[in-house]
Amino acid sequence: MFYPLAGKIIPWFAIPSAILFALGLYWGFFIAPTDAQQGDAYRIIFIHVPAAWMGMFLYVLMAIYAGIGWAFNARLSSMMASAIAPTGTMFTLISLVTGALWGKPTWGTYWAWDARMTSTLILLFLYIGFISLQAAIDDPRRADRAGAVLALVGVINVPIIYFSVQWWNTLHQGATIRILGKPTIVADMLAAMLIILAACWLYSVAVVLIRLRCIILEREQNASRLAEVGI
Amino acid sequence: MGGYGFYVWGSYLFSLVVIVWEVISLKQRKKALAQQQSSNSVPASVLRGSANETTS
Repeated sequence: MFYPLAGKIIPWFAIPSAILFALGLYWGFFIAPTDAQQGDAYRIIFIHVPAAWMGMFLYVLMAIYAGIGWAFNARLSSMMASAIAPTGTMFTLISLVTGALWGKPTWGTYWAWDARMTSTLILLFLYIGFISLQAAIDDPRRADRAGAVLALVGVINVPIIYFSVQWWNTLHQGATIRILGKPTIVADMLAAMLIILAACWLYSVAVVLIRLRCIILEREQNASRLAEVGI
Repeated sequence: MGGYGFYVWGSYLFSLVVIVWEVISLKQRKKALAQQQSSNSVPASVLRGSANETTS
């Protein structure tokens, strides 16, 4: 039942995602003003911040699905965790690379081992570790359980990333958007950033559902083949 | 971009390349699965070692 439903709803996420990406980029490049301090270099924020948020958000989501799959032996939930991991990896990589490209003109260096950057790099390694661990184990259910342990242990890194700029004296600037309190950027900059964040979220739903459908089919195929050969 | 073109366009170009790569690799994965499903001619013995492809 889930498989055909997922197939039907994918375009409802993919098409609005493309529209919002275009709108957000237009807003960010043509409507949002040039920053008084950083000039146009700040425009990297429109992809850097949404990518960083998605990297953290998707990790938490992956850990939740992996945990549910492990605790309740729910195969679909574990498969969802596997489907989320590559997209989370991609967003974390984008946040690190765009951060480095933003760091050079503003801080004078591509990389510094400060708390925010180091903990984000650890997030990337956690994603890669999750994917590698699952790929290294032949039995899918064992792979799911091993992945769940890693995902759940690694989730502690997410609040460390988020609060690192408050807990330690870092080169990285403080939070632009606060859960409580006013944002520190002007409305047009914020609007462009939030539109691209929405686009990233919709994109993630679409690609994760496509990947999930692939994983479901692959596991079904392999299970029937293994049954054929009597394993 | 006020002299920051390399950094700004580099960021967006990298992001675009990675996103396009993800979409293309997913399409290829779907295509390979569809081909596998349509041609069930592969002997099961050949596929014994392919169980590790189930997760990625």
